[in-house]
Amino acid sequence: MQGLIDVFANLLGTGPTLSMVLAYFVCIHSLIGFITIYAMFAIWMERKVAAHIQVRLGPMETGGWHGWAQSPADALKLLFKEDLIPAGANKFLFWIAPALVFCGVFTGFIVVPFAEGIQIVDLELGVFFIVAIASVEVIGVIMAGWSSNSKYSLFGAVREAAQVVSYELPSATALLPPVLIVGSLTLGDFNTFQAEHGWLILHNPFMPIAALIFFISSLAGCKRAPFDLPEAESELVSGFHTEYSGMRFSFFGLEEFVSMFLVSAVTATLFFGGYTLPFDLLSIGAAPDVSLFDWLSGHAELGQVDILGSLTHLAGPAVFIVKVFVFIFIQMWLRWTLPRLRVDQVMVLGYKFLLPWALFTVVGTALFEGLGWGWCSHS
Amino acid sequence: MEALEMYTTDERSDVYTEELKLNLGPQHPSTHGVLRVELKMDGEIITDSRCDIGYLHRCAEKIGENVTYLQFTPYTDRMDYLASMNNNLAWSLTVEKLMGLEVPERAQWLRMICSELNRIASHLIAFGTYGIDIGANTPFFYAFRERESIMQLLERPSGARMLYNYIQPGGVRRDVDDNWIGDVLAFCDEFEKRWAEYNTLLSNNYIFIKRTANIGILTQSMALDYGCTGPVLRGSGVRWDLRRDVPYLEPYDEVDFDVPVGEGTHGALGDCWDRYWVRMREMMESIRIIRQGCAKLPGGEVMTKKQTSMYKSPMKAAEGAHAYMRCENPRGELAFYAVSEGGTSPIRLRARAPSFCNLAVLDQLLPGTMLGDGVAIIGSLDIVLGEVDR
Repeated sequence: MQGLIDVFANLLGTGPTLSMVLAYFVCIHSLIGFITIYAMFAIWMERKVAAHIQVRLGPMETGGWHGWAQSPADALKLLFKEDLIPAGANKFLFWIAPALVFCGVFTGFIVVPFAEGIQIVDLELGVFFIVAIASVEVIGVIMAGWSSNSKYSLFGAVREAAQVVSYELPSATALLPPVLIVGSLTLGDFNTFQAEHGWLILHNPFMPIAALIFFISSLAGCKRAPFDLPEAESELVSGFHTEYSGMRFSFFGLEEFVSMFLVSAVTATLFFGGYTLPFDLLSIGAAPDVSLFDWLSGHAELGQVDILGSLTHLAGPAVFIVKVFVFIFIQMWLRWTLPRLRVDQVMVLGYKFLLPWALFTVVGTALFEGLGWGWCSHS
Repeated sequence: MEALEMYTTDERSDVYTEELKLNLGPQHPSTHGVLRVELKMDGEIITDSRCDIGYLHRCAEKIGENVTYLQFTPYTDRMDYLASMNNNLAWSLTVEKLMGLEVPERAQWLRMICSELNRIASHLIAFGTYGIDIGANTPFFYAFRERESIMQLLERPSGARMLYNYIQPGGVRRDVDDNWIGDVLAFCDEFEKRWAEYNTLLSNNYIFIKRTANIGILTQSMALDYGCTGPVLRGSGVRWDLRRDVPYLEPYDEVDFDVPVGEGTHGALGDCWDRYWVRMREMMESIRIIRQGCAKLPGGEVMTKKQTSMYKSPMKAAEGAHAYMRCENPRGELAFYAVSEGGTSPIRLRARAPSFCNLAVLDQLLPGTMLGDGVAIIGSLDIVLGEVDR
């Protein structure tokens, strides 16, 4: 971030405040662009994955090659659709709910580390921030369900409220073991730690359990099958977004895919080495001593720029996104294979099964750390 | 389930939640048609339910009193539209009994093979849609793949994919082509492999068992009291199948097959899983019947001479003649009762629809369950609203 501010200050000669505003403006908009393109791709991928699991082909016509333009076409259609508001709805809440839902997950993105330095802000409380900000979405969902003035939407909202209390605890608890090992809540530290000591999932025998618990509860967080109770199609028609149409409806769909990315990014960063490769190959994702930014911001000459280092630095986001997509694929795979749990079964799973096991991993990891054990040695 | 019982038995007067009336249907993804269920909800728990039917009522029986016996056959197609062959069969048997028509032997065997194929197709829909009710979308597409093969097989002699009008009073409309039997047997081999796949995907899935076992328990006495038939009755452990107990077609006596009943494998006897599993096993029994039928299929005519004349001058039944014939449909016993006063059409016609009788237990099964279970129970009864309302 500081690099970008310096670049603007150097190239445009703007003052520190204006440079910062410009830098944030560019960052936020590139993030929105990234999310939009990602969501379109992910929706297309979901349709293709679902289709191939279900012995179909999925979209094949739109755009020519394997229906690649299906998602942009759908987005365009939704843009042009009438924005219907039910007669008895609470208009203000009905309007603001999709925005709130989207803002929650979108804001979480500012701490996602794509590579060393390629991150909008590296908050000291990064892990905590993601867990907290992703829950804002729940308020939006409950608002949407309440304001729609539909019984099915209300059911969806209440189910979401019931679900959030049962999965948030295990999911947050399962994030504690990595935090214990690294000793920091900053997401950037996890990457540097894992570049040095290897992936955290292999750190001690409790880490795979913690990763699995986090993955299962993150499915509930994204309202994905088998935890898609708030929008359970066969029970609640469409749950909390039954009454939504057009662009507002698409925000809920967008939110689902964006939060899938977010939780997968957390899984990848905290358990699977983030942007690093397991064998510390070419130190992918690590920032070079002298980068292009240093040249652009006038701190270094062009000749001093570490070209190879810059290239491996930029390979970091690619590695990271590939890892994230592996988890996204697993989420899709599960969705099109598993039936849905019942609402009380979700709570039983969360409280009686996931939470004790998550606590077990915390205690076990603490023990290992306290005794100085660990499969990957501390240097 | 434990939490549920705790909640329902706990009568704390300080906690008061308002009862919510929820209108499930007539347009709802999992009411399997235009069924409307008026639910009273206490949170997620159903406290009371009332079925509202009649949205698809087309006066089929009244129409039957105004058209000739032969003309009514296509109307029976549209009652249980997922098992048209079986409907045709029940009506044809009624008319044959009323008029004393003799059916050629080959026609009888073809009737059996076709109606068993249709039974598999119908159970496949039950299997696929049940998956969707529980939240798994993929089994539906697998089921439709095999159903497509059956529809193509049945299309060859009948010319139609869904509403066959193939079995008619006096026999079957056309003979099958020469390769048909071979293709049916090839389908049987293929289907056995697919069936194992279904079980891996859905039947033995842990979540699926958790969602269906011990849900919607229909006791034996209750099933008998409410006149349930078909897999709903057999799911409760009553071994009653007309094909075995009152063979309405001669070939059923000559083939060897079992009547699967619920055994309470994963919970109490007569729960949703038992009903589901009875259907799954019945598909394999149908395959057995079809295999034997194909092997023993005799040659000869497929239609009586008398019936061919019915096209030109409608045949009349004797005055005062009446006939009641019942058949084991995929959903239970379908029966027709026809009373003649000597005309070309019956003076009174009545159909006993299995879905209609099976649906009657719904209001008894729903209270005390959760909304998700309610959907599972409706799905496990496997109703077709075209037949409930006729």
